[in-house]
Parts: sequence; structure tokens; C-alpha cells
Amino acid sequence: MSASGKALSRFHQPISVPGRRLLHQIPLKFVQKKVAGGGGRALNTEIPLIPFIDFLLCIVLFLLMSFSASGELSIDKNVKLPNAENVLDLVEAPLIAITGSQILVDGVAAGSTRAIEEANRLQRIDELGALLKNKRELWKQLHPSTPFPGVAILAVDQKVPALVVKSVFQTAAFAGYPNISFMVGRTGGGGGE
Amino acid sequence: MAGIDVGGGHGKKNVNHEIPLIPFIDFLLCLVMFLLVTAVWSTMARINADARVPGPPSSEPPENQPKEKQLHVEMRGERKFQLIWKEGNTVVNTIDVERKPVMSGNDVRYPDLAKKITEEWKANGSHRAASDKKLDQAVLHTDNSTQFADVIAVIDAIYTPQREYTAGGSVALIPAFNVTFSVN
Repeated sequence: MSASGKALSRFHQPISVPGRRLLHQIPLKFVQKKVAGGGGRALNTEIPLIPFIDFLLCIVLFLLMSFSASGELSIDKNVKLPNAENVLDLVEAPLIAITGSQILVDGVAAGSTRAIEEANRLQRIDELGALLKNKRELWKQLHPSTPFPGVAILAVDQKVPALVVKSVFQTAAFAGYPNISFMVGRTGGGGGE
Repeated sequence: MAGIDVGGGHGKKNVNHEIPLIPFIDFLLCLVMFLLVTAVWSTMARINADARVPGPPSSEPPENQPKEKQLHVEMRGERKFQLIWKEGNTVVNTIDVERKPVMSGNDVRYPDLAKKITEEWKANGSHRAASDKKLDQAVLHTDNSTQFADVIAVIDAIYTPQREYTAGGSVALIPAFNVTFSVN
């Protein structure tokens, strides 16, 4: 037993797996584990900057395309437009705005409504008619092969009487713009062509 | 990080450069913030109305076109609207609708009128087939003192009935009526 025990102890020398020896003196276990190269995945990760920049560039381009430096439309802020549900999207067309007693076409003065209110009857507005006719002729020169759509948009305060609206409507129709759209606020839902 | 390698590098100065990405991202973020703050999100829309005006004088006699039924909406009365179906100058039917304005915030609505117009179109409308491109015609008559907000509320009510329109395999919802704003 003893002989065999001696023989056994001779062979029973501790065999340790060879490994890293450096930096094993660090007392904190988790630090030692990290610096000695043990542990699992590295905790430092690179932020994927390139797709992030691509994404930002897309946003910038979209916002730049929809950016309007001069505000949306040339309507006086005092004009309160009525709201409606069954509406269509706006189209590019001359904008006739009635602000107070002034009539503007794309921001350019085109007459007054005072004469109509004083006369209390339907009247044609010569200045507006002339301006719209000029616009129509210009459009036809620029698009000689396209039929003229005759669309104009009317932005009117909700308290303006129908007499003024009718006068402007009639003037625009006689100047070659029979397809009038009234500008309104969108309250929801919405039909559409 | 991103860098520019131009090769070489044997001279005195290193010619490889890192692109400064962090200030570039900062700049982009500032630009995004500015554009988002100044963005104008449109809530404006339009409501359509045609005008009937005499065309240029012509020597040819007008063609005999079949007279279609039209719905005339009279809003001259203070207490009621009148819906009048006409074929040419012939009155086919007249319906009175009580004028019951409903305030929705600051806006006027006429839900009873919208409901009645929808019923009338379902009963008498000429262009109800999904393949029919033409729309039924509604003519709006107002007096001169009516406020524009009321006019829009009535036009909105006329546009309430909608129907399907099939073209090229796709189905779209379109208004049942096309509105003409009578200037007379």
C-alpha cells in the first residue's frame, strides 16, 4: 500500500494547463478577467455611423424639398378661412384673395370690393379681370400645346358676404377661369377625385 | 472611423486623413432641427365649384342635347333649404329641408341637409353606376347677404354623398355631385 502509495505520489504531480501568466496579480477579479484576455464578447462596440449619416442626409433632403422660406401662401393672417370635410388637395393655380376690402392676385393688388358693397349689386371688377386675362395669356404663351385649365383658387374670409364672392367669381369666369375652387381648412376625412 | 487613404506615406508628413465625422453629424442634426422647426405643414385644401358663363358667340345652332336632371339647392330662405330637381326648366320635384345649423367649433354644419341630399341622390341621381365618369350636377343659389362660411357649409353638405368610380381596374371614391355656384 505504502509502496504503491509512494509510487502514486510520484506520478501524482500536479499538471497544470499552460496559459497566460501576465497581469494575473490584479486583485479585482473582473478586471483581471478582462485584461488577461478572458471573458466573452468585448463590451466596446462601434456605432454604425455611415447608415446613421445616410439616414440624416435623407431627412435633410426631404425637409429641404418641402421647405418654404417665404411662408406657405400669400394670404393675410387676418383672413379666417372656413373649414370643410369633403375637400380636395390644393393645385397650382392663381390665388385670388379677398383681404378686408382689397383683392389680391398672387399677392398683387387687383382692385377693391368697396364699389360692390356701396352699390349693393353684382359688379365686374375691371382691374381683377385685366390681371387675370394677362395671366391667362402668359400661361398660353408658356404652354402653347396644352389646353388652358381655367382653374383659380379663391381665398375668402368666412364673414365676407356672398355678393362680393359672386362678383369676384363672375369676373374670374369672364376672364377665362370658370373652374373656381374655394380655399378652405381641412377638418378631417376628405373625399377627393 | 472613416478615413482617406491616399497611399504613400513615406514622406515626412502623413497624408492619410480622418474625415471629422462628429462635427459633420452635429451640423446635420442642427440642419434637421432647423428645418423641422420652420417646416410648414399644410392643412389647407380646396372645395370645387364651377361657374356657368356664356361662351363665345357662334353662328351654328346649339345641338339638341338630352336634358339631365339637376339638383338646385336654394339657400335663400332663413328657415329652410329647398332641394329642387329640374329637367331643363321643368321642375320635377321640390323638397323642403329645415335649416338646422350645427356648430362644430367655429364652423357651421348642416348635417340634416347632407343626409337629405344623400337620400335624394340615391333615389334620383342619374349617374350612379361605378363605370359612369359623369357626375350629377348640383346648382347652389344664395342671396347676396349670406356669409361665405354658410355657403361653404352648404357646398360641403352637397359633396357629402360619394360613390365608387372604377377606371382601369382601380376603384376610387368620388363625390356624387359636381357643384355649380350660381352667380345670378
